[in-house]
Amino acid sequence: MTVKVEVGAGGVPHNKIMIYGLVGSLVCLYLTYLNTYLQAPYLAFFGGLAAVAALVWGADTIKHLCSYGLGTGVPSAGMIALGSGVIAALFGATTGPLTPIVTLIVAAIIGAIAGLLANHVVRMDIPAMVSSLTELAVIGAITVLGLVTMACGTFEFLGMITGTITFLGFTMQTYEMSVIGGGVIAAIFMLGAIAIQHAFNACLGPGEKQDRTLMLAAECGFLSMITVAIISFAFIATYAALLAFVISVIGWLYTYKQYIALSKRDAYAWLDAKPIIEPKGGA
Amino acid sequence: MTALGGPKQTAGVQPPTAMGIVLSIVLIVIALALAYLLLQMAGLVALIGIIIGGALVAFGVHFVPVGGAPAAMGQSPGIATGVAMLAAGAGLAGLFAGAWAAPLGLAIAVASGAIGGGLLMAITCTMVNIIYVFGMGIPAASGKVAKDPITGDTFPEYKSQGTEGHGLPFVSWVGGVIGGALGGLGGTLIYLELLGVYQAQLPVILGATVEQIAPVAISLAGIFAVGMFLVNAVLAAYNITGTIEGPHDPKFKRFPRAIIASAVASAVAGIVALGLFQLLGVF
Repeated sequence: MTVKVEVGAGGVPHNKIMIYGLVGSLVCLYLTYLNTYLQAPYLAFFGGLAAVAALVWGADTIKHLCSYGLGTGVPSAGMIALGSGVIAALFGATTGPLTPIVTLIVAAIIGAIAGLLANHVVRMDIPAMVSSLTELAVIGAITVLGLVTMACGTFEFLGMITGTITFLGFTMQTYEMSVIGGGVIAAIFMLGAIAIQHAFNACLGPGEKQDRTLMLAAECGFLSMITVAIISFAFIATYAALLAFVISVIGWLYTYKQYIALSKRDAYAWLDAKPIIEPKGGA
Repeated sequence: MTALGGPKQTAGVQPPTAMGIVLSIVLIVIALALAYLLLQMAGLVALIGIIIGGALVAFGVHFVPVGGAPAAMGQSPGIATGVAMLAAGAGLAGLFAGAWAAPLGLAIAVASGAIGGGLLMAITCTMVNIIYVFGMGIPAASGKVAKDPITGDTFPEYKSQGTEGHGLPFVSWVGGVIGGALGGLGGTLIYLELLGVYQAQLPVILGATVEQIAPVAISLAGIFAVGMFLVNAVLAAYNITGTIEGPHDPKFKRFPRAIIASAVASAVAGIVALGLFQLLGVF
């Protein structure tokens, strides 16, 4: 018994999505750097948008890779992406303004080595393995970096490990009230890992359509953004966090509606369930 | 049989390619040399610990009875989920148990990690069998061997036609516990090595006491251990391609490939994690 992974043909070519995803997420990450010149990190939400751009690209890459049938399920691709990505993202974060670029390079190296090992040592012998795992590691790294940036307002390492605590009117620096010290990084890790693999895992099968899969990926990304926006209330100024929260909710509502519309388009039939009407005069 | 198609299944075990072997040796040597250059003997010892931990994780994954999607329908033996999910569960449970015991010294922490991982798998395997036997009415029967190597129970009489076996035979249960224990042990070893390095470096860099930086060091070591654990588990899952019954399965003989791949992947990821603070403040 084999269940075939069926992938819909057509749609936007993968390379085009890759370029849009890469450039879009890098631009969004650098926009958060402008926070340095503002009073409060009002632009932190661009980190989340960078993660969404990367996740859409990631869903397409996973679709590309898993169409070969790995035999291990789609979630494993998301796990290796975030597993190698988080290491690269935190290493890159120590390099100040160069963070996004260094993260990208380190992630690409780790991903390429994992791909070469998978093909030449473990003998998967899948042509797209090296390029896909390289892309996935970069995507995982950008996702982690973007969501962390959204939570604490900066992509610099010292900002991630230091927070402030107000005690009896005194503001003190502490390492516990921070994204890394508080262990929030683990929650962000899983938010990214679930978002990256869910879209293709849910949409694969006969009649899979690229626009529907990618819309679901964007929806998952905004859903993760909402959670991170709530987390960010603990670390950044309230108005900046509120702005991020509103943008996440608007983005999620829009993508969710679009996804439902696309699902209705592709479905054979659709039954809009209505509330049961109470009989008149009681039962 | 694989749940998702899978690459072509050829008889026997294909050895790693010459390029794979050369690449592996070169990368491990480069990583060890870098570790010595950056952190002298402490770095070398830590990286060797990380490599051993990664190899143990990959070896442990091969013991775990993974049934995949067919097991959910009672058509193949094992636990009804993917390799990456099971390995993550066992490894993270082990990591929590080990991290909790970290202040008690290396030996106790590693043993605690092994017990944590093994305990999780023991509970999972027992509950899986209870559901199979009392909930679904499925007897335990392996499809790969005629007799249980430990209890001597025979299987062919109980095996339903058209399936590859079903339920969870005793040998698979034992394999699951061994796999969980090895995974927990490996994950804890990676965590402890990284924690030791960060606890030595962070107070100097940040000018703080060991107690003050503890949250940051623990969180960093934990998230890197999780990341490396998942990379190793997925490489091992690619090696298994789909389902495995446990140590008696013919696929178990493939484990040397996964150990090589995981050792190299751990070395590369490990050197990035160990060199985390080398670029801090340079840019």
